[in-house]
Amino acid sequence: MGWLHDIILRKFNNIAGTRYEEILKAYQNFFLTEEELVIPEINSILLVFDRFSEKVPEEVHETLSAFEGATLRVVYVIDEGVLKMIRETLGEEAAEEFRKKDMAFAKTFLKEVEEKLGDLNIKFSRKIAFGDKAEYVEGLARKYDLIVISRHYGSETTRTHRVSPIVFRIVQHVDKPVVLY
Amino acid sequence: MEPMELIALAIFIGVYGLIMSERIHRTVAAMVGASLVLLIKIVPWERVPEYLDLDTILLLAGMMVVVNVARESGLFEYIAIKTAKLSKGSPMKVLLLFSVVTAVVSAFLDNVTTVLLLTPMLLYITKKMNVNPIPFLLSEVFASNIGGTATLIGDPPNIMIGSAANLSFNEFILNMGPIALVDLFATIGIIYLAYRAEMNSHKENEEGIRMTIMSMDERDAIRDSSLFRKSIVVLIGVVIGFFFHDKLGVEPAVIALTGASILLLWSRASPEHALEKVEWATLFFFGGLFIIVGSLVETGAIAQVANWMVGHVHNEGEAILIISWFSAFSSAIVDNIPFTATMIPLIKAMGSHMNTYPLWWALSLGACLGGNGTAIGASANVVVIGIAHREGVRITFNDFLKVGMTIMITTVAIGTAIIWLRYVGL
Repeated sequence: MGWLHDIILRKFNNIAGTRYEEILKAYQNFFLTEEELVIPEINSILLVFDRFSEKVPEEVHETLSAFEGATLRVVYVIDEGVLKMIRETLGEEAAEEFRKKDMAFAKTFLKEVEEKLGDLNIKFSRKIAFGDKAEYVEGLARKYDLIVISRHYGSETTRTHRVSPIVFRIVQHVDKPVVLY
Repeated sequence: MEPMELIALAIFIGVYGLIMSERIHRTVAAMVGASLVLLIKIVPWERVPEYLDLDTILLLAGMMVVVNVARESGLFEYIAIKTAKLSKGSPMKVLLLFSVVTAVVSAFLDNVTTVLLLTPMLLYITKKMNVNPIPFLLSEVFASNIGGTATLIGDPPNIMIGSAANLSFNEFILNMGPIALVDLFATIGIIYLAYRAEMNSHKENEEGIRMTIMSMDERDAIRDSSLFRKSIVVLIGVVIGFFFHDKLGVEPAVIALTGASILLLWSRASPEHALEKVEWATLFFFGGLFIIVGSLVETGAIAQVANWMVGHVHNEGEAILIISWFSAFSSAIVDNIPFTATMIPLIKAMGSHMNTYPLWWALSLGACLGGNGTAIGASANVVVIGIAHREGVRITFNDFLKVGMTIMITTVAIGTAIIWLRYVGL
C-alpha cells in the first residue's frame, strides 16, 4: 500500500505544502523548545512590584501554585531617585508627602496581593524597599531561584513598547528564570 | 453512442484518472481536459459562460480573500491557542474541544485552511501529553468534513449544489445542520470508544502538561491587533449576510465579495498581496471541471444516464438512498468536487420526473461525508496525514480506512435516516 501513501504525500504537496511551511513558521513563536520545557528546581521566589505593576494575573497564580513548599518574597520598590529629585526641586515636605502616599499605596497593594497569595499554600514574607528599581532587583535576584515581575515594572509603557526598559535591563542582567506577566 | 459523446467520455475518464493518480496537478489535468473539449468544439465557446458556474467560483474567491487577509492578523493561531488552553491538558477535553472548534470553523471556512491551522497545535499538545496523536488527528479530520456539511459555504460540493439548485444558506443550515450536529457527536463517541485506552496521559505529568499549555499566551498570536478586530467584525458580518442573503435577494457570492471588499478597504491591506494568496489553482480546477462536465451535457451523455436512472428508480425514497450511498462511496474514492460537478446535471435532468429537492440534500450528505471513508476521500484528510507524516507520525491508508469507513457508514446512515424521515416519512 506504499503507492497509496505516495499519492497522499503528492496530494499534500500539491494542496498545502508551501502554505503549511508558512503556518509552521508562525507557530514557532509559541511552541516551547525542549530546553524551555525543563522546569528548574524552585525553592525561593522573588515577586517584585512598583506603582506601575499590574496585579498578579490568574495564570501566574496557577504557575506559583505549582511550587508548593517554596518560599515567596514579595517586595514593593519605591524609586529613591524620584524621592531625591522631589526633595531637591520641591523641598523636603513635598518629598515626605510623596513618600507617605507611595507607602500607603504600597501597603494597600501588598495587602491585596497577600490576600490572593493566601490561597496558594506557599510561605511568604513582604517588604517595602527604597532604591534604584533595576539595581535593587538585580542585587536581590542572586538569592532567589525565580523572579516574577510585571512587564510594566519601572515605567509606563506605550503600545509600541510592551515591556518597560527597566524590565528589559533586569532580564538581560539576571541569570535566573524570570516570569513576565 | 455518437463519436463526440465517446470522445467527451474518454476525456472525462482520462481527467478523472489523472486527478486520482495525482501524477500531475489536478488543476493541470482539469485545464488540459477543458482545453481539449473546447478545441474539438464539443463545448462551443459561446456556451462556456453557461457552464462556468460563476456563483461557485466567485464565492470561493471572495471567501479566500477574507480568510487570507484575516489570517495575516493571527486570528486562527489565536483560536488554536485559546482552544488548547481551554482543554487544560486533559486528553478527553482536547478531543472534544478540538473536534467541536474544527467543525464550527469548517462550517464557515474551507476545511483545508481549518485543519492546516489547527493541526500543528494539536500535534504539539498531544506530544506534550505523551499520548498517541492519531485518534486526535482522525477526530479533527472527521469533524472538519462533518462541519463542512452543515452550511452552504462549508464545503465546495455544498457551494456547487447551492448554486445549481438555488438553495439558500438557511435551507442548508436547516437541512444539513442537525445532521452534522448528530454526526459530530456520534463520531467523537466512536473515536473515544475505539481509542479510549490510548487517551490517558500520565497522572504524574499532568501538572507539567497543564503548565506548558497554559504558558502559551494567545495574545502573542495577534500580529496586527487592528486587523484582528476588523477581521472578526467582517467575518461576523459576512456570516450574518449569508443568513439573510435570500431575504436581501442577493447571491452568497455577492456577500463574500462584499465582505472581501470591505475588509480590503477598511484594513488598507495590499490588494496585490491579498490576491496573491487566492488559490487560483483551485479556482481554475473548478473552471476546468465545469467545462469538462459541460461536454457530457452537450453530447447528451448525462441525459442518457439520467433517463436510465429514472427508468430504474421508482420514487424519491429510492432516489435518496441511491444518491446518498452512491455519492458517499464514490466520494470516498474520487475527489468529491468532480463527482459533485458530474452529479449536478444528472439530478437536474431527473427533475422532469420527480421532486429533486430532497435529492440535493442526499447528494450533499454523500459527497461531503463520503470524504471521511478513505485517506484520499477529502483534501482535509490528505493535509492532516501529510502534516503528521512531516512530524514523524505515520497514519497509513489502512489505519485511516478502518476508522474512516466506520465513521462514514454511521454518519451517512444517520443523515439518510434524517432526510428520509423529513421528506419521505415512516
